[in-house]
Amino acid sequence: MSRVPVRARVGLALLVGLGLLSLVAGRLFPEALASTCPLGMDPTRPDRTVCELAFGGLWVSLAVGLAAGALSTAIGLTVAAVARLSGGAVEQTLLRAVDAVFALPDVLVVMVLQLAGQSLSDAGAGGGLGPFGLMVVSLALVGWAGPARMFRNRLATLESQEYVAASRALGGGGLHLLRVHLWPALRPFALAVFLSRLPAAILTESTVSFFGIARMEPMSLGRYLGTSYAALIYEGGGRVVLPAWALLVLLVLGASLASQALSGAPRRAS
Amino acid sequence: MRAIAQRLLRQVVLVPVVAVASYFLMASLPLTMETDAKRQVSRELAASYRRDLGIGEPLGFLRPWEKLFRGERLGTSAQGITGDELLTKLSGSVGVGLMALPLALTWALGFALLRTRWRKGQWAALGDVVPAVAFGTPVFIPALLLAPGVVERGHLLPELCAALVTSIWPGIFLGTLVGDSLEAELSRDYVRTALGKGLSRAAVLRRHVLPNVWPAMLDAVGPVATSLLAGSFAAERVLGLPYFGQLYVLAVLNKQVAVVVVATTTFATLLVVVSLAVEVLRYAVDPRSREASA
Repeated sequence: MSRVPVRARVGLALLVGLGLLSLVAGRLFPEALASTCPLGMDPTRPDRTVCELAFGGLWVSLAVGLAAGALSTAIGLTVAAVARLSGGAVEQTLLRAVDAVFALPDVLVVMVLQLAGQSLSDAGAGGGLGPFGLMVVSLALVGWAGPARMFRNRLATLESQEYVAASRALGGGGLHLLRVHLWPALRPFALAVFLSRLPAAILTESTVSFFGIARMEPMSLGRYLGTSYAALIYEGGGRVVLPAWALLVLLVLGASLASQALSGAPRRAS
Repeated sequence: MRAIAQRLLRQVVLVPVVAVASYFLMASLPLTMETDAKRQVSRELAASYRRDLGIGEPLGFLRPWEKLFRGERLGTSAQGITGDELLTKLSGSVGVGLMALPLALTWALGFALLRTRWRKGQWAALGDVVPAVAFGTPVFIPALLLAPGVVERGHLLPELCAALVTSIWPGIFLGTLVGDSLEAELSRDYVRTALGKGLSRAAVLRRHVLPNVWPAMLDAVGPVATSLLAGSFAAERVLGLPYFGQLYVLAVLNKQVAVVVVATTTFATLLVVVSLAVEVLRYAVDPRSREASA
């Protein structure tokens, strides 16, 4: 633990704290929030308090971010590993596929994927994916390219180390190198990449939900902010929107601090 | 130049890939109606729709482009638009993006310089907090905060406000990158030498440090251009600007396959053009890139 930079510890503590808060306040004891919320009821949903909606939204956003971040990191890692193990034309093809995904803006593609998924679900061919699963899959499908490029570059750098060359000279195969030498050195970086995907996924989901395309239910922070904009514009409703906005900012602050500190931390050679 | 030509080729190849992928994705959508979910449209209407978009035909994916070049409406209903209208709307969004770009660069340079100054003082934490606030704030929130003044009372130019709110996130993102690069450069020997020879800090920064920082900024311009254009979509929707963003959202919601295909491809082309312009600019301003490609 002492090797983990202070900033990373602060960021991780913030993330865990927000997660626990959302679990306790948004899921386990929502009735406590309903009776004690100082911000009153939400004008667009008079049956719920602002606190219930904000902390309930935090729980959903965090779950979407964690699932989509994990899935896109796993896909990126797999693509990078396959690219480096195969080399040559396969690696070049995969890198061009990464470029192609980069040429598309996240928000637009997620919008189209959401619509496609919803249409398939309506026609009874959605593969059992609800709004949550659909959002996670959509975000992962657009979000894997960044991690793939970062992992591929990091793997290429690690492969140039002497201990890897020595292992290869002693007859170590590609999978052996990856499992025994490269993965332990790559692990903290993988965690940093995952944490960097977390806010990106949450913000993309927020924007798509704001456009009214995603059907996230219960509402995520983005959908809540999107549905409350009338209150913000016409009723000066800072009390309605500011808590959800502050939670979103804290979430991003925690993930950014941890991600930056971990990706810049010195790594031990294995 | 050969390296640039290779990159040009690689990037240009992406455009038809994006066009075909977006066509097949949209064309695979089941034809259900928004108002009457789960009930399929009539067989005649579905056949007309499929014929109109060339769905199921060997070269059907070329149909949106045929309609575009013939000047026909791209949609399957009166809601569709012509290529000229698409271009007008795109130019509106690009205009907002172009207004946002200098604003983003101003934010970036300002934040980078402040962050370098804060690093050693009591304001060091702001170097982390400001990006977190900017990154944790989706574009639609500042747009909503400005909306009463802009939409309701007409106090400010909606385009300028859209550019302003769109530029914040990319500006601070660029600023963090430039700040890191600036810090690395300021700790180098040539800076100490220049200062030791009596050059002022401003002159060292302008003449020696900033030319070495520009490449780091150029690296990030591609993602920033995407953010500026995608961000302007949200701002356009909130501030009521009838440009490309509005068009795209409505086209997706109404399943206007041809409009989505052409709009997505146009968007991808625009990003390719931006990345090529950045490559050329890098070649012009960064001697190391000329040496690398020589």
